Amino acid sequence: MRPGRTTESKLCILLLAFLFSGCNNDKAPAVTRLPAYDNDVLQSVLKATDSLQTFPFTAGRVAEIRQALQQPMPVMLCKDSLDASQSLAQIIALNDTRFTHFVRDSVTGEPLRNEIFGVYPARQSDLTTVKEQYDLKNVFRIEMYNYALNGTSIALVDILQQKVLASFFIAQAQPDIPAYLKTLAIRIATESLEVQAALGVKPGEADALMASTKTSLNRSRCERSHHLCVAPTFVKGDKALWAIVDLTDQRLTGVRWTNVGTTGPASPMLTEKRLQDDKITGCYCELDQPLNRNGWDMKYMLTSSDGLRISDVSFNGRPVLRSAKLVDWHVSYSGTDGFGYSDAVGCPYFSQAAVVAWEAPQVSELKDDHDKTVGFTLEQTFRSEGWPTACNYNYRQRYEFYNDGRFRIACASIGRGCGNTGTYRPVFRIAFAGDQNNFYEYNENKWMQWPTERWQQQGSLTSYTTEGFQYKIASPQTGYFIEPGRGQFDDGGRGDFAFVYITKFATGRDEGENDLVTIGPCCNVDYHQGPEKFIEPQPENIENASLVIWYVAQMKNDDRKGNEYCWAESVLKDGVYVTKTYPCFSGPLFIPANR
Amino acid sequence: MIKPLIIIVVVSLSMLSGCGDKPIAEHMPTCKGSPSFVKRIAGFSAAKSYFSTSEIKRMGLVLVENDGSPRYYQHPSWKAAGWLSPIQLDVAGNVFTAPAPFINVHDNPVTKQNTVYKVDATTGEMSEFMQLPLPDSLNGNNPYGILGLLYYCEGNILYASSIAGSDRHTERGSIYAIDLKTKKIIDRLPAIDAIGMGITYVTGERRLFFGTGRNSSVYSIAIRSDGTFKGKPEVSFSLDGLGLRGDDKVRRIRTDAQGNLIVYGIEFNYNLIAPREKPESVYYFRFDDQGKRWALQSIDSKTTPTE
Repeated sequence: MRPGRTTESKLCILLLAFLFSGCNNDKAPAVTRLPAYDNDVLQSVLKATDSLQTFPFTAGRVAEIRQALQQPMPVMLCKDSLDASQSLAQIIALNDTRFTHFVRDSVTGEPLRNEIFGVYPARQSDLTTVKEQYDLKNVFRIEMYNYALNGTSIALVDILQQKVLASFFIAQAQPDIPAYLKTLAIRIATESLEVQAALGVKPGEADALMASTKTSLNRSRCERSHHLCVAPTFVKGDKALWAIVDLTDQRLTGVRWTNVGTTGPASPMLTEKRLQDDKITGCYCELDQPLNRNGWDMKYMLTSSDGLRISDVSFNGRPVLRSAKLVDWHVSYSGTDGFGYSDAVGCPYFSQAAVVAWEAPQVSELKDDHDKTVGFTLEQTFRSEGWPTACNYNYRQRYEFYNDGRFRIACASIGRGCGNTGTYRPVFRIAFAGDQNNFYEYNENKWMQWPTERWQQQGSLTSYTTEGFQYKIASPQTGYFIEPGRGQFDDGGRGDFAFVYITKFATGRDEGENDLVTIGPCCNVDYHQGPEKFIEPQPENIENASLVIWYVAQMKNDDRKGNEYCWAESVLKDGVYVTKTYPCFSGPLFIPANR
Repeated sequence: MIKPLIIIVVVSLSMLSGCGDKPIAEHMPTCKGSPSFVKRIAGFSAAKSYFSTSEIKRMGLVLVENDGSPRYYQHPSWKAAGWLSPIQLDVAGNVFTAPAPFINVHDNPVTKQNTVYKVDATTGEMSEFMQLPLPDSLNGNNPYGILGLLYYCEGNILYASSIAGSDRHTERGSIYAIDLKTKKIIDRLPAIDAIGMGITYVTGERRLFFGTGRNSSVYSIAIRSDGTFKGKPEVSFSLDGLGLRGDDKVRRIRTDAQGNLIVYGIEFNYNLIAPREKPESVYYFRFDDQGKRWALQSIDSKTTPTE
């Protein structure tokens, strides 16, 4: 395996060891806790699953869905018991092109997942706009949910006249769910290990309160995924365990305890977003978390605006890094002069982040082509709510730590941005441990030391060692070669074309050791990305000093078929839209000089 | 003398916004004056113009003439404070505004976020009007300061809501009542992170309504004729559980001719998520005289356009 290889297929998510250990993603418990922290938030569980088939008992429903999508009218009929009139009303509605207008993708004609949720006797208030004559007892209201568009089609059908009196579509609206979906939601909850762990026992289906979204206790929303969600709730003593169940993906989204009060204001509705944001904030935004694995020891936390920060990194007891973080994402669009954004990534609440952490940091095993574990990764996703629609962003930050002492600091844009002329420039700040470091560049077949602070751009004339090393940072005790991305890491990256800056760290002078505000503008195409302000106008001597490496890769996006890069697009899968991604990874690999 | 209602339709939508917000015309109360400098801008029709802080790719205050194809005017001083947010006009036609960062703080240093700026009605020049107190606890985790401005005609008072210095654990914001004539803060409602504000009369009492960044409640407090606060804020109604998101925060409150409240709600979490990602819902509330409570009449959800 090529060093640095980290294709997504090679990442094996650990068995969610953090589920039952509070904040920590790793096995070690969190060290400290601020007094204001809500223990229910810290102990909440976020679940990451993206497969439609999540439990054996959902297999039958998945088959039904796929079968329905093959039909000329790709709609799942209502499975609640209907009488003859209701059944007739359903059939009449499905023969009306206004009612079925959204059952297929408007461009490709591919079927979208639709399901009749209910056929009800119409109320007078349903018919206020109907001008035709009707007898109310013959009129039914048919509600059909569109999982792909997260909207509801409604038809008012007169079975005597055998016609649709009115039909309309409500975007971002979900009808009451039918009884069989309530049963399914409760079963997903009761069968989920996370629910069982939280309750200390496997609950019976009768233990769940009403799963309907319209009840006061357990309304919920999946406002991020735009999926159909309900919250079976289990009461234990004076507490209630919310289990948010995603009926679009047929999976558990997460669980959290809330207090059940008999007086005072009702608890706010617990939703997908609130569950995620609270957990991330409570666990990772104000406290360092320890991570100790395979000889590596470090702390990590989410910052206000500098992404996922690692600090006090050591390998086999030897200090390696003081800290590393992702300061900014500069995104410029060449089609429009000076147009772009300077995005910070960070915490969801109280932060300067424009693109916020979407889920908890993930620790995963890193395996080679022979399925042998060669290290681990620490990874964080930051997302805009509307991604992958235009002008929304998805950034990924990834630290790779190898068992042999190598490490890589990488990141990727996963589109989609405001157009296909975008260039992404992530700004990494990497502060090395030790105060006797020297920095060298490989040039003319030898290592040449940089005596003062400076910058350099990786280009076509750049010299590398036969191993691909461009720089070296060394102290009397240790040293690392630096291998920039040139498309060799098998992660889809096509080369970093990076600006590299070296600055001197000095105690008492904050040049980014603390959270940095936006360090540079969006759209400079030259070395003016921000770190130069710590060099100019008078570069300092950097011999035998504490050094900081700033690494600014440049990735140009591409939306051409077969060449997609820094890009994402929606595709239909099982009748709902899922996102196909084309990440553009960048970042250097550090190799111990004495390996 | 109060000038007749003429030219300027004011847009004050850009709180937490900037690019992407679609301007919404607001009928100007009669006490608000017309800036005379607008008449001197060559080629601009005052009747078709409005001020905006939310024009795409245009930082600062912008005068927009929209007669089918928009035209823009920016006095050189209007960019000096970075990205701006609320806009209010006083009786003399002076324009008051305040900065709010857009996506990042590159053009909006935190230390200037509690500054009220004034565009002189005669010269059109923008300058610092006054700096509201900055809390000692100013921190980078909260990039915001002033988020709301509201002009109270009868008292010639400018209300400014600021959340400067607040963090996740402590609410340090304030609503300031500023006497525009004396340039003095005449009252302050402390420890509240107010954002959008509006004034209406309820059962004969003049009340200031406001929402906060902390929850979906809409609070109100009585105000005296001189603009000072009377009593303590109380919860009047809530957006909790309403709309697409169910936890909207009040971005802005408008009062119609009947005294109904039109409440603009968005997601707000004290971060710099781009406004294009923030669909807005508009909630219409009417006071039920018999039940003595505010009743929701309707909700209008819309999506902020993207470029």
